[in-house]
Amino acid sequence: MGLAIVLFFMAFPFFYSAGNYDYVMHICIIGFFYAILASSWSMLAGYAGQFSFGHMAFMGLGAYTTALFCHYLFISPEPTGLCTEFAFGDYYLILKNPIGVTSTTLTQDCLSQAMDNWNGSVEVKPMPVWLGVMLGSLVGGIFGLLIGLLVLRLRAAYLALFTLGFSEILRATISAEIMITRGQAGIELPSLFENGITIFGHAFSKTDKIPPYFVMFFLLLGCLALMTWLSRSRFGLFVRALREDEDAAAALGVNTTRYKILVFVITSMMAATAGAVQAHYVTIVTPNNIMILQMSIVVAMAVIGGVENFVAAAIGAILIEFALEMLRTSFNIGGVEIDMTIWRLVFFGAVLMLTLRFARNGLLPPLIEYFTRGHVASETTAQRTVDDADTPSVRPVGGSE
Amino acid sequence: MIELSVARLNKRFGGNHVLKDVSFEIKGPEMIGLIGPNGAGKTTLTNVLDGAVKPNSGTVYLNGTRIDQLAPFQVANIGLGRTFQITRSFRRMTVLENLYVPALALGKSHRIAEIHERAMEVLEFLTMGHLRNEYARALSGGQQKLLELGRLLMLDPNIIILDEPFAGVHPRLLDIIYGYIRRVNENGTAIIIISHQMDSIFSLCKRLLVLNYGDLIADDTPDKVKADPVVIKAYLGTEEDYTGTGQSSEIQTDPSHG
Repeated sequence: MGLAIVLFFMAFPFFYSAGNYDYVMHICIIGFFYAILASSWSMLAGYAGQFSFGHMAFMGLGAYTTALFCHYLFISPEPTGLCTEFAFGDYYLILKNPIGVTSTTLTQDCLSQAMDNWNGSVEVKPMPVWLGVMLGSLVGGIFGLLIGLLVLRLRAAYLALFTLGFSEILRATISAEIMITRGQAGIELPSLFENGITIFGHAFSKTDKIPPYFVMFFLLLGCLALMTWLSRSRFGLFVRALREDEDAAAALGVNTTRYKILVFVITSMMAATAGAVQAHYVTIVTPNNIMILQMSIVVAMAVIGGVENFVAAAIGAILIEFALEMLRTSFNIGGVEIDMTIWRLVFFGAVLMLTLRFARNGLLPPLIEYFTRGHVASETTAQRTVDDADTPSVRPVGGSE
Repeated sequence: MIELSVARLNKRFGGNHVLKDVSFEIKGPEMIGLIGPNGAGKTTLTNVLDGAVKPNSGTVYLNGTRIDQLAPFQVANIGLGRTFQITRSFRRMTVLENLYVPALALGKSHRIAEIHERAMEVLEFLTMGHLRNEYARALSGGQQKLLELGRLLMLDPNIIILDEPFAGVHPRLLDIIYGYIRRVNENGTAIIIISHQMDSIFSLCKRLLVLNYGDLIADDTPDKVKADPVVIKAYLGTEEDYTGTGQSSEIQTDPSHG
């Protein structure tokens, strides 16, 4: 089943021909992006029981780290004499001065001035995008570690409020630091493949959808593979024990502190990596990406898909992303125009409420349970019958060794 | 050799002095009952021994290692296991997964096949083999208590503290729990049982510790404790206390619940 879904999405860009190709591919890419966020949040909240509302903040940290890295740092073979710069080998690492949102025709940054002076004789190179993404992931992990340490003693609503506070502080800081972050105007980033890319002899331009489609898809697969491996290892067992009863897990020898922090770091890094890649795909990042509304969408996707199953959360995210886009089409009922750009969110909210009321563990897990655990009840009954036949009375005291 | 040494343990919660200079020692695989009225400090003492609560003063040594400032997982690693007054199974995990947790946490074995084999032995011993793949939430209250005891077996500790292991358990399961306790003790594990069920305590334990509002008022054999006027006044009471008419001829169970 899983393999069929993977093969379908691998082949989808090559057989889809029903029109609006770029738009549909874009929805897929955004769907994969939300799938990474929803599934990693389900690992944090559904598996480990850490109901953090700071997941989008980690996503934003990844996005802003690579944005600032690519926006302010450059490599030049010549010193500018205007910027802060560090020599390494035959090159100079240029740190562009922040000029906020001032028009470049009025106040140019130091590098632009140097470029004017050089008059095209010096080629300045931007920082590699992959390095920015890796840095974003690293910064997400570091903040995940810090937040994990800070929330060690917090549970349930206190943890949710703390992480919500962290998220809002980050958003407000980015909005306020206009000189560095350009505030609400946002920072533009280079595209994932700024100079295009050739794959199997086929050249793709920087605006083609297929390369970012597969980058995001493979990132999603990588995250799901990592989470599958983790969930089947002692890590998965311990974080679930942590979710069930932290004190009992500790009394049985589980280092709850270590696993709580680890799950924060791992899921934060996933969110940050997804954020960094997505930022390079849309080529702009703004503080609105971290808004609480965005977080609530991720939570809703995970809850509707199945918060205790990261694969279900990922599938839920993709399905909901498609559903939300399909619901954008307004229609007429008896001459009354239904503006679905507004009503689609009402529909989304209603699905969320109905899921919470009638399928608390999400819409997909009952199906998954049916296929993976449907045999357990009959096995238990059959085994009990065998045991009863073998054991006429209370079993004699057994050994512990 | 098992050696637990508790010296001048004090614990206060605000103005409530819950443990007052509590001292005792356990040497070897003893079977000890810890009794006392509600609010006596039994669970607090357990929490201090287990590392969940840090004492205000005093020391606890287990086999020569000071454990009163360690985290619960470290105490478990050194060899002290416990159950909880209210059963705390991992409800959304299967019975087998519940047993895997302590075995993997303490690194008793890295081979899952070995751990699985051991877990199946434990489940057969507890007559729960057929329930291995069920979620713990599907078990009855008594079965969940058995599962908690099973987890301790996987931990293989030097000392076990059982907090109210008999409360709310069907007589058939009680037989299994008695068997479990005796067998584990025979295999060299010291056991501390906290219970209000005096008949169970008196039939199993050869030594009783009696706490009364933070004071350890008795540390002796069951016969001597039963006859101790201080314990009778503080906890056990007299026949008249139970019947009001002197009709009962033996001490009843659960004298101080409520």
